[in-house]
Amino acid sequence: MIAPAVIEFDGVGLAYAAQSGAPTVALDDLRCRFLPGKVTAIIGPSGCGKSTMLQIARGFLDPTAGRLRFVELANGAAAERPAMSTVWQAFNLFPWLTVIENVEFGLRLGGMPAAERRARAKKALAAIDLTGFDEKYPRQLSGGMRQRVGLARALVMEPDVLLLDEPFGSLDAQTRLVLQEQLAALVERSGTTAILVTHSIEEAILLADTILVMTARPGRIAAEIEVDLPRPRSHGTAQDPAYGVLFERIYGLLRDEVMRAMVGERADT
Amino acid sequence: MSGQPIAERSSLSGATAPATKPAGSLLDDPRMLGWGAVVFVLVAWELIAILTGVNRLYLPRPTQIVVALFDMFANGKLTVDLGYTLYRIFAGFFIALVVGVALGIWIATSARVRAVADMFIAALYPLPKVTLIPLLIIWLGTGGPFMLTISALGAIFPIIINTVLGVRQCDPGLVLAARDLGANQRQVMRLVLLPSAIPSIFAGVRLGLGVSIILVVAAEMVVGKFGLGARLYLAGQVLETEQVFAVLIVLAALGIVVTKIQDQIDIWLGRWRLA
Repeated sequence: MIAPAVIEFDGVGLAYAAQSGAPTVALDDLRCRFLPGKVTAIIGPSGCGKSTMLQIARGFLDPTAGRLRFVELANGAAAERPAMSTVWQAFNLFPWLTVIENVEFGLRLGGMPAAERRARAKKALAAIDLTGFDEKYPRQLSGGMRQRVGLARALVMEPDVLLLDEPFGSLDAQTRLVLQEQLAALVERSGTTAILVTHSIEEAILLADTILVMTARPGRIAAEIEVDLPRPRSHGTAQDPAYGVLFERIYGLLRDEVMRAMVGERADT
Repeated sequence: MSGQPIAERSSLSGATAPATKPAGSLLDDPRMLGWGAVVFVLVAWELIAILTGVNRLYLPRPTQIVVALFDMFANGKLTVDLGYTLYRIFAGFFIALVVGVALGIWIATSARVRAVADMFIAALYPLPKVTLIPLLIIWLGTGGPFMLTISALGAIFPIIINTVLGVRQCDPGLVLAARDLGANQRQVMRLVLLPSAIPSIFAGVRLGLGVSIILVVAAEMVVGKFGLGARLYLAGQVLETEQVFAVLIVLAALGIVVTKIQDQIDIWLGRWRLA
């Protein structure tokens, strides 16, 4: 198997045309690399453009400055765009399709025969402990179950890169804790490449190899922090003294930015 | 059907009643009450007509109407008329459904098409479609093409408008999710925009089919040789009042059947919403 490419933000910037005056700069001169086999978390205050970074990586948005590149890890040569699938904060399950039809959706678009895609979808659902809910509609499931369907729908595509856009942001606190650990286990087991956008420092430390801390708008990368806590990780990892040090460091960076964002909001209104 | 009446009855008659029915319980059942009222009116009508000796040209008795109704079906004329009318309504309606949904999706997904279509829809939608009958007769004559056109014209505007509404209300997150999973533009339309608009489209179908029925019957009354509207008009001209009532009964029954079928389709289409 050919190793998937590195996703590289090479001075990426994004500016929106404003109603009057200078354009609004959402993202400014981002330089970072998302390495294959690694989980990179992007954390930052609300409105800093974290999710926008995912949209750019996915190819749904074109940067207005700099460029997005895909390169071989070994020699830096240009590479093909890796296959990506997204898990959304709002789940974005198709409400008129059953659980199994939702999971099959991407395979169906690709024209896979019905029997084969059904088998794969069933396997993906089994992998996240959702066997027996095939014929339910999303509305019949709890939030945590819906997001596991969302995860299965993305994973069944066997993406090179998994994009996680605040995947547990709309779940209750306890469900979130459980799903965070399940995702950590899944990521460790599969060695998948993932980009995780999150508000939660705990979630970033639990899941990521690298954490990008963003500034308030315009979004810049304030720090790139390596997480060298041993795996497998769980919420128990918080007992590790190194965890506390990391947490403090990230929180220190974020606190200033959150304050700045709040002052900025007040100035806007 | 039965859930609601039972709940109402038990809440009215309390916990003591269920074994022996109190005298008022029949009046507490809405279905019994509804049918009872119909029977009461028919019996009263029959009796008053007999007692006052009113001329049957003005007000035939219900029994006479029923006899006329059976006669008209027995000699096959009314069956033919019903067939014509149903064909005209539904053939025109299905043309409107296919064209209307396609146009609606196009309008909803293209700002340019929307800008153009908005003016025409604003002008044509509120226009009473019966006013188009003279012009359509000049253009198309009074045959099949005319009937299908008038029927389709009646249904198409509510269908277009509701399709546009439904597509534009689609959650953009679902479109993004579909694109993320590899959907191209056409697949987004067919597999995301269309299904998410279906409840709204069906609301348009209800309105549109109602207008189609009105227009086809009205057009038949004006120019038809066959069809329920034509039969109604001709019977009225020769003072066959029983036949007029008989046709009205058939039209009312058609309305009931169409409404009930639509209710069932609505439930089936909305199964994921009720779940």
